[in-house]
Amino acid sequence: MNQIKLTISALASAGLALVLAACAQMGALPNLPASHPEALAIGQQINCAECHEDQQKGTLKPYKAFNHSPVFVKNHRFYAASDDRLCSTCHKSSFCNDCHTNKVQMKPSTKYGNRPDREMQHRGNFMTMHKIEGKLDPASCYRCHGRANNERCIQCHH
Amino acid sequence: MKKVWCTLLCAVSFAAASSSALAADISVDTSTLLGIGQRDVSGTKKETLLPATQFLGVDVDKLADGNLSLHIYGWGRADLADKSYNSQKADGSLTYGYLQYRFKEANANARLGRMFIHEGIVNEQIDGLSVRTDLPAGFGVSAFGGAVVHDNNKQHLYGESSDGKGDTIAGGRATYRYLGMLELGLSGVFEAKAPALVSHKSGNHRLVGGDLYFSPHKMVALMGQSSYNPETKAVAEHSYLLTVKPFEPLIVSAEFNEHRTGSYLSSSPLFSNMPHFNPTDRSRTIGGSASYQASKNIGLAADYKHYSRTLGNADRYGADARLSFSDNSIRGGLGYHYLRASQGFAISPYISASYHELRGYLMHDTKGYFAALDAIGYLFKEKIYNERIAWEGTVSLGYHLTPALALSGDVSYGRNPEFTEETKGLIRLTYNMTFEGKGEKK
Repeated sequence: MNQIKLTISALASAGLALVLAACAQMGALPNLPASHPEALAIGQQINCAECHEDQQKGTLKPYKAFNHSPVFVKNHRFYAASDDRLCSTCHKSSFCNDCHTNKVQMKPSTKYGNRPDREMQHRGNFMTMHKIEGKLDPASCYRCHGRANNERCIQCHH
Repeated sequence: MKKVWCTLLCAVSFAAASSSALAADISVDTSTLLGIGQRDVSGTKKETLLPATQFLGVDVDKLADGNLSLHIYGWGRADLADKSYNSQKADGSLTYGYLQYRFKEANANARLGRMFIHEGIVNEQIDGLSVRTDLPAGFGVSAFGGAVVHDNNKQHLYGESSDGKGDTIAGGRATYRYLGMLELGLSGVFEAKAPALVSHKSGNHRLVGGDLYFSPHKMVALMGQSSYNPETKAVAEHSYLLTVKPFEPLIVSAEFNEHRTGSYLSSSPLFSNMPHFNPTDRSRTIGGSASYQASKNIGLAADYKHYSRTLGNADRYGADARLSFSDNSIRGGLGYHYLRASQGFAISPYISASYHELRGYLMHDTKGYFAALDAIGYLFKEKIYNERIAWEGTVSLGYHLTPALALSGDVSYGRNPEFTEETKGLIRLTYNMTFEGKGEKK
């Protein structure tokens, strides 16, 4: 019994020492800036490598990985899932919430009819097209309309 | 609606007061949109539609010791003529509204309020608290908890008194990263028991999973995630993307996605009541793409994707080009895609779901005016509701009244299988301004 108590005490002490050591090192860990120090051009596919040669602080991935190429834009969910703090240095949350939100008043492509260069979903006559696209890949609908932002879907699908 | 706007106005007042007292920076983004339309459905009276929508975003930085900030975004709509949508002449939503404290080290922050959470496999909206920090030796941790954001519209689910979601939610993510080449994440979400529904099926929303970023060489990166549903005791999702950059302007990618219907979609009453919902089904997509930046002005991309479900198989392929001239003030794009899809994906009672898609746009921005033309068209292999083509064209014209204030208007016209003709108009007033306090300039 005494041996168990001793082991638990030793483990607790080691754990505490580890936590204290970790806390002492926290101050040395780098921070990403709250916002990008330079204004970036609107409507241009950003190439981070134009200015940044090194790896970014904080997440340590190469800046080049975040160049806004067509491949990046189409697959941005993979990057946002682990690096949304990097996204937020340039984009306000509302930029994402133009499409990914809990409730919308209008299609994003209607709200931004003056910005056809933005990759907005559901352009044109999506009322017809969704009857095909929804069966093709329901998971792609679910990501935005599964548990929120589906008031309009439920008008017919109930 | 009233509640939403009271919350927004209170928060804005609080922010303005705090700003003057503490030399904070305030950024305001507003868009006022007035839609113009007419609805003429046979058997009912003709209706005039004038929905006025106000989007409002406010960000107040450098509060208190300079590390505290407030972020609010939402919208409200009032119908100035007949009801434009559902049974309400006014509607609104608070998209997010939270206080954030950013610590000076370790990318640590704490958020309190309504917010979105993106952590590995977790994508949620909560009213609650979230915290995150990097830890020594490459580790990191985040956690969140609070109330689920419900849809308060009583008509949300037909014949039900709830939206099918539990009331509380919690989760988090733990990460380990090694240099710039590896990041491993473990994440999970646990929502309280889903309420029983009268005529809909719904499951508890609980998932655990892992995510990966692996870049053994600067030219190659593999990233993705897998999740498991402990309620159904089965895998919910595998999604992976491989990118290869053999030389600077060329990027090639391959992706694999698999979703098990019974585990991935089961916590949504909307999806689990769809006529094609089959809990044993599995949807899989495999594809690839390549993009080539031929010059600073010309970007080319091509993509292919294969879809497979119990319903059948389909292939989509095509290409896009993006052009920019005159220091990016003139921009344009062209795209073509073809979907070859079997009868299982067709709109009943037709036998083909295949179609060609064509899109083109052109924009011109100056310090004074800005203009855009946009056109999209679908050519169906088999006529749908006796129509071979669906198309829509939009013309947008605007003027910068001041550097922060712009007025623009859109007119769109189209023909499609749903409507013989569809004409829409929109007037848009946008205002984006940052008021800087005495603090250091961003």
